[in-house]
Amino acid sequence: MYEYEGEDVFVIDSHLHLWDASEENIVHEGGEQFIQCFYDYHTAFTPEERQWSLEEYRQYGADRMMNDLFGSAAVDMGIFQPTYLTDFYDEGFNTAEQNAELAEEYPERFVLNGTFDPRDGEEGLAYLEELNDRYDLQGVKLYTAEWRGDSKGWRLDSEASFRFLEKCAELGIRNIHPHKGPTIRPLNRDAFDVADVDDAATSFPELNFVVEHVGLPRLDDFCWIAAQEPNVYGGLAVAAPMAVHRPRKFGEIMGELLFWLGEDRLLFGSDYALWNPDWLVDVVMNAELTEEQRDEYGVELDLEVKKKIMGENAARLYDIDIEAKKEQFRSDDVTEKFGLGDHYAGSSATPADD
Amino acid sequence: MSTDSLDDGPTVARVRERLDRVTDPELDTSIVELEYIDAVRIDGGEVHVAVTLPTAWCSPAFAWMMATDARDEVEALPGVARATVELREHMHDSEINRGVNERLSFGEAFPDADGDVAPVRAELDEKARVARQHDATGALLDAGLDGDQVVGLTRDDLDTDFDGGRARVWLRDGGLAVTVGADPIERYLEKAEATGLFDDEHDELFRTPEGDPIAPDRFETVRHRTRLAGVNMSGQGSVCDALHESRRAEDRPPLSKRSD
Repeated sequence: MYEYEGEDVFVIDSHLHLWDASEENIVHEGGEQFIQCFYDYHTAFTPEERQWSLEEYRQYGADRMMNDLFGSAAVDMGIFQPTYLTDFYDEGFNTAEQNAELAEEYPERFVLNGTFDPRDGEEGLAYLEELNDRYDLQGVKLYTAEWRGDSKGWRLDSEASFRFLEKCAELGIRNIHPHKGPTIRPLNRDAFDVADVDDAATSFPELNFVVEHVGLPRLDDFCWIAAQEPNVYGGLAVAAPMAVHRPRKFGEIMGELLFWLGEDRLLFGSDYALWNPDWLVDVVMNAELTEEQRDEYGVELDLEVKKKIMGENAARLYDIDIEAKKEQFRSDDVTEKFGLGDHYAGSSATPADD
Repeated sequence: MSTDSLDDGPTVARVRERLDRVTDPELDTSIVELEYIDAVRIDGGEVHVAVTLPTAWCSPAFAWMMATDARDEVEALPGVARATVELREHMHDSEINRGVNERLSFGEAFPDADGDVAPVRAELDEKARVARQHDATGALLDAGLDGDQVVGLTRDDLDTDFDGGRARVWLRDGGLAVTVGADPIERYLEKAEATGLFDDEHDELFRTPEGDPIAPDRFETVRHRTRLAGVNMSGQGSVCDALHESRRAEDRPPLSKRSD
């Protein structure tokens, strides 16, 4: 558990991947371009001494991931968000099944999200049900810009997509995470347009739409939609690391997000392994708005707000009882493995064992 | 242009000055200021411009717009018979360079694209107009106008050729004029005109992001939305800037082995 100025901050990293971009797994040049683009983001924002080599970045494996997330006690829990990209990668880039390797070993620490692609039709609906039966899904990550044969993507507000959203509602899969972020490669840019979230959110008020990467670089469209749709949330993956080299810009973006969405609708995510939460959590917790930004936006980014963003908001969406978790984590396998007992000891009436 | 420059022909400085008019459409910032220009070579009436963007994966549509705009701006210079553009280290550099220099359309250069580049350009122009409106209305508020006065202004209330970098704004009744720095107003007008904002039916100077006149009680909301458009652009600019630095780092691994 992260400690900030003597206070505990429970961190739920809402955007994790256990990916495989090894050269053996790449079947299309898009797969190579995809991981190289990620790597450019990694080196652009990661402090120099914390950067990985491209080779270790391609495939880091479960052990390293566990160590990176929990070894430094920066993260308490994580939510896996799969990204299939099966046209680019032989076994997929980061599938629910791959993520399940860790999620099933440490079920108390991870939430495992599934996915759907309306282009898969009946077979896709069956797959969604199968994933739900196997993993009891609470959420899905959707990649509307994923290439599939001649198709360069799909829309969340299409008839085909609505059938899948109806199925989610029926199965109790409440949290829908569309990736709406930086353009990777499409020739036309509409694949990451956030406009399709609007109609979907209006049509399914019982579902929560967590727009990943807060729609960057369509932040303006995203905020305007979110301001009108109370069930639209913002995932901070990709925006968060701007706090390192561009703190003023990060403050402006947070100012806008807090102004339009408020402090209850923002979720921290590292996008691991794009960035490692052990330094990122620290940087975000220490980020501040300038006095000018506080005046301009009329919002605060204080400890209470940060606690919500770092974990409490995700806990609400995913029915996680933070106090019960702290109790459980005093002695779970991860705590044993990384010697984290002291981090959770303070939450109990029992004196800490020094 | 004066006849002097005709006689003298193009110079690197003149070419760069002309290229300063070309913007990265997503950031609404000059490609010269963004340091995308690697080299300008002049050979008589032929001008060659080499460009590198912040990432090899920069949207092909954006790269296309910048390359064609650069070509057209340079060719508008007196004494330039032909301009060629060389986009370097972009995943689609061969298609773009061929298309731009052989004067093809975007659709001819990219047969598998889902659409033309024009709607993308129009959308980005619209975002730039909104962001520039924020600066223009901000200047007017600083000059003492209130929201009601700002939303009531029409195109005819503006006199941008007033005096030494100042613009004059006539308030509704025509009895009072206020002066402000001309630059934000002119920059706004340029994009307002490029997006066809002023027509016979509407002469209101400022609009909502959707292009509608602003109801006085919505002025604050529209101000906040125009601020957001600017933050989005500069936020994206920061990402591009970071990728730009990362790309130029000495120890960067080579680009995709498979992309050839």
